Amino acid sequence: MDAFIDWIVSTRLSWFVTEYRWVWPIAESVHFCGMTMLVGTVGLFDLRVLGLAKGISPATLHATLRWGLVGFAASIITGVMFISGAPDQYFYNNAFKLKVVLLVLMGANAALFYRREFAGIRTLGPHDDAQRSAKIVAAASLVFLVGVTLCGRMITFFRPPY
Amino acid sequence: MMALFSSIEQNPLSVWVRESPSLLAFPFILWLHTLGLVMLAGTNVGLAVWLLARRTVPSFDLAGVYRVMWLGFGINAVSGLTLLAAYPAKALTNWVFFVKLAMVAAALWALQRTKDEIAVADGSGAREVTLRARRLALLSLVLWAGTIFAGRLLAYTHHILLASEGF
Repeated sequence: MDAFIDWIVSTRLSWFVTEYRWVWPIAESVHFCGMTMLVGTVGLFDLRVLGLAKGISPATLHATLRWGLVGFAASIITGVMFISGAPDQYFYNNAFKLKVVLLVLMGANAALFYRREFAGIRTLGPHDDAQRSAKIVAAASLVFLVGVTLCGRMITFFRPPY
Repeated sequence: MMALFSSIEQNPLSVWVRESPSLLAFPFILWLHTLGLVMLAGTNVGLAVWLLARRTVPSFDLAGVYRVMWLGFGINAVSGLTLLAAYPAKALTNWVFFVKLAMVAAALWALQRTKDEIAVADGSGAREVTLRARRLALLSLVLWAGTIFAGRLLAYTHHILLASEGF
């Protein structure tokens, strides 16, 4: 692990992140904006599947998820920047490890949604109720989204000493 | 003014939030602030993006969506005031904090105006998404991005942390 960390801090990206004073704060802001786009679009879709905002067909809300993916991509890029700037602060951090686990579970839950539930959801009318199994997947998605934000916020408080 | 900030900092709640090693103190309140942000700004962003892609808006449970956002605002207001009580001088001597507050106020105004623009009377089917509604949706996206930037930059732009430590 130490050799890997040494390699990361020797990269140009690591140099860029740590050399300029404003890179980290701006990257943090972009990270939060990306997360807000992801949670906003996916969260609103999940809430509709759970029965809120009836009158909107889930398919039209699903179309907004591409912007959630744009936000997610921005969060991943800036997240990689943070890790490159201070890898030991993340690799030895339990909050970060749990965040990664939750991100993987969130991805698996999304895969399950598209494999099992999406065909039924896309045909729902504006006032139709989703199936119970789809609601369980949507509720799990919300739990994972909130869990990821919680762990992300806790990273600061679980940092190993410099 | 510094004497006032100092007295607020000595309040038992402020001291607990700032100095307690418990995860339920500063870390939990900070997380609540983030949770409120994603409930309010996140849902507003989702709504705005959806609105910008539509030509017409159907009659839907607008009240339910707004309840989520106002609950998020309530969580944000309480957690924000608690964080402010912990570090009053840090925020109130930094102009970025006031920019953030102004943008939150403008975003809430845009949110309410959007509701008026997209509310569909019962039985009337659908309503055209007006240019004004689109502008409000776009304004909401800009204002929440600005709020997030200002909020994050607060940690890097303050000149005073605690008034009671003689800044």
